[in-house]
Amino acid sequence: MIKKDLELLVSLQDIDLMAEEVGEMEKLGFSVSGYGELKKAREELAASISKPLVFRYERLRAKLKRAIVPVKNDICLGCFLRQPTSIGVKGREDEEIFTCENCGRMLYWLD
Amino acid sequence: MHRTELAKFFKENLFIANLKARRKDAAIAELLDLFVAEKYIRNRDIVLEMLHQRETLGSTGIGKGVAIPHGRTTAASEVLIAFGKTETGIEFDAIDDKPVHLFFMVIAPPNDEGNVYLPILGSLVTILNEKSNRDRLLKVENYADFIALVKGE
Ligand SMILES: [Zn+2]
Repeated sequence: MIKKDLELLVSLQDIDLMAEEVGEMEKLGFSVSGYGELKKAREELAASISKPLVFRYERLRAKLKRAIVPVKNDICLGCFLRQPTSIGVKGREDEEIFTCENCGRMLYWLD
Repeated sequence: MHRTELAKFFKENLFIANLKARRKDAAIAELLDLFVAEKYIRNRDIVLEMLHQRETLGSTGIGKGVAIPHGRTTAASEVLIAFGKTETGIEFDAIDDKPVHLFFMVIAPPNDEGNVYLPILGSLVTILNEKSNRDRLLKVENYADFIALVKGE
């Protein structure tokens, strides 16, 4: 079960990523008949996350396209800047939301 | 995308000749668990949620016994494809309502190097449209045979 705010936010972005490519999916021959349902699921998910956080997400998304980016081997995959190893320890707990000091995106640790 | 190029996104540890699953959700979970076991994915729940949302958008069962569950997720850093098959077909709400025997699970990061994600899906659809390829896939017993087919050998 997904409960933590950061995880919910990642799920929200995953739906947004999906919605961006609905046209391409349809061209490839995939069914996208549930687009309305997906949008509904997106709104329900957004409503379950704290409002200021969703606001922050939307603002970053408007400015930088991707609001949350993966961190791998301590590298922000949004701008490729190395993150201090010390924040990675806490970052991996998915409790606190850290942002990249260089690009401003929220960080999600993969490893 | 050229088939030798496509072959690079498969891995032997993401291959199951005989899926245990008998239901749609279980098949998706079984394939996803390969990525988790090999540590390609840390947070299983997030990716499982994405795959479920993808099925909400529409079943990835594209007909003729084939399903290609796929999606981009913030919880992945590289494009990888898992393959699984089952003699016992699985009900997958496929567009032709036929049970699914061949599964290709494609997981991609939010942005992928060289934008290979959509060409990969396109290439898979093309290969799987060929009856001879589907027939051969149903019979593969090991990874070597499988990857040879993907490469068009
Ligand atoms: Zn950054």
